[in-house]
Amino acid sequence: MVDTQVRLERCFAAALPTLSAAQIANASPASVAAWDSVASVTLFALVEEEFGVEIEVQDMQELLSFENLLGYLRRKTGESAA
Amino acid sequence: MKLIEALEMLREETSEGARPFRVSLVCSFTPSHLQTFVHANLKRALPDRRIEVTPGLYGDFWGNLSRLEQENPDAGVVVMEWSDLDPRLGLRSLGDWSPGALDDILRNARSRSAQFQEAVQRIGRVIPLAISFPTLPLPPVAFTPQWRASAFELALRAEVSAMSLRAAPARGAAVVNAQNLDQLSPLASRFDAKSELNSGFPYKLPHASAVASLLSRLVQPPAPKKGLVTDLDDTVWSGILGEVGLDGVSWDLEHHSHMHAVYQKMLYALSEAGVLLGVASKNDTKLAEEALLRRDMILPRKAVFPVEANWGPKSESVRKILKSWNVGEDAIVFVDDSPMELAEVQAAYPQVTCLLFPKEDPQSIDELLYRLRDLFGKSALSEEDAIRRDSLIRAQEKDMNAGERGEVSEEFLRAAGAEITLNFAKEPLDPRALELVNKTNQFNLNGRRYAEKEWLDFVMDPGTVLLVVSYKDKYGPLGKIAVLAGRLENRTLSVDVWVMSCRAFSRRIEHRCLEELFERFGLEEIILKFAATPKNGPTRDFLMEILGEELATPCRISHTLFTSKRRETFQQVLELANG
Repeated sequence: MVDTQVRLERCFAAALPTLSAAQIANASPASVAAWDSVASVTLFALVEEEFGVEIEVQDMQELLSFENLLGYLRRKTGESAA
Repeated sequence: MKLIEALEMLREETSEGARPFRVSLVCSFTPSHLQTFVHANLKRALPDRRIEVTPGLYGDFWGNLSRLEQENPDAGVVVMEWSDLDPRLGLRSLGDWSPGALDDILRNARSRSAQFQEAVQRIGRVIPLAISFPTLPLPPVAFTPQWRASAFELALRAEVSAMSLRAAPARGAAVVNAQNLDQLSPLASRFDAKSELNSGFPYKLPHASAVASLLSRLVQPPAPKKGLVTDLDDTVWSGILGEVGLDGVSWDLEHHSHMHAVYQKMLYALSEAGVLLGVASKNDTKLAEEALLRRDMILPRKAVFPVEANWGPKSESVRKILKSWNVGEDAIVFVDDSPMELAEVQAAYPQVTCLLFPKEDPQSIDELLYRLRDLFGKSALSEEDAIRRDSLIRAQEKDMNAGERGEVSEEFLRAAGAEITLNFAKEPLDPRALELVNKTNQFNLNGRRYAEKEWLDFVMDPGTVLLVVSYKDKYGPLGKIAVLAGRLENRTLSVDVWVMSCRAFSRRIEHRCLEELFERFGLEEIILKFAATPKNGPTRDFLMEILGEELATPCRISHTLFTSKRRETFQQVLELANG
């Protein structure tokens, strides 16, 4: 089974194609110039499609980083960080 | 297609120097994922082109539509939604839904409908349009409960139906089939209220993917297959002919074999639409012929040519049929009830589309019929579709008169009473010309395919000469069989496009075309932009016959050289119009 982190990295690579694998892990709107509102909409659509989850609009602002999204998805899927 | 697959496809490199294919996306909502899906689908359909999809302004459907002519793209993709007929039909508008507002909404919709019709007729003449009419559920505007059809909703839907009916046959326009979209995308799973409010994109991803897929097929339709080879036993009819005999095979309700009759009905409809039908069956030849001649067959015997009924491998029968039809393996479909036979043919011909006839499952047979419609579907039928089968049979008879090199004797050609018609007219532009250019492989100067808009721009250029050639002889007409297009400068014609249907081979029509062009335009030289392709050997052979050497690119044929090399021709020439 492909784990949550790998699947999320694939979503980030699709929404923000200029990022390297190393940059994805630390990605946030503050650190990535290309991360605009269109990229956010695309990223959330990709995540919802990939993980079959529905992200509430009020949660989106807090989830705007790779780390926060990964934590959110792990909580949803019950997968541990280790 | 999933969004992630579409985005990853967009990241794949396009080959350097690829010609652009520009598409304008006309909609009033945020184009977002629809733009991504349209781009990805077109990239898959046109791998040699650099796809550019440009959306218009948010909230301005009608302005975006009217700007299409200025943008002059290769195609326009037009996605209308209810709110484009009246903003009150969209979730984002807070306009009045009260009963008193309904008549006004209808009036607006009718006025927009008339505006759309005018725009499609004007724009479609110069830019191919792929159109999707409203696909989302109507908002709960009317005062009736959902289960009761309201006069308001029925009138709105009637207006959209009328708009579709007027747009579908308009020149340059193609409309998404709502029934096909219903199959791919259930109505209840289309609207995404959260996304509409959050980002102005009203489609759920699977719906956006389905709409984009159908629109892209309208922009770049897949090439229709040319021929279908079918098995007989447990396919065209139920039962094994060799075991149950002539009267034992069936295709009726009484014997629970009715779906075989429906399959026959579909085969006959395809045949009448110009699809070649052949039989590859492991059977006794005489018995199979007798069964095909049974008076209650839905599929008439004359619709099938050739019939290969023997005990050899099916791949060998398919080989003979391909030779008879003179088409490539990628242009045919093979249908059989036996997975083993399908595998044997597939191994010999990997590019043949092999389909199982699911004899025990009426539902799956029904699905097979839809699949066949898609594989052979075309936007319009031509005169040539009606005469293709008969002209092939005549070509076989002609080949029986051919010598060892496959050459038809001069006596035969002289006595054929051949007549070719040269048509240099560009208005009205004959759609058959582009069809021939885009599907002909063997006699094709360089294999280049054209998008509709690109062809229109090239041909309508005042410097371009277009020649469409029709042929008939005492055995019957072949219809329009050759297209040549190029640019005339002084006494030189540079030919970019030259194709000729394989049905017209061995009649020296190619010699006659060059002869007429030299004479009509007083040419000193014809430059042919030849490029070898994996399939255009007959073109190469013809040019080598004239040039007598390995071919340079482009090929230059002087009048003097042609006069010394050309072969005698026997056709009477008629000219239809001056271009």
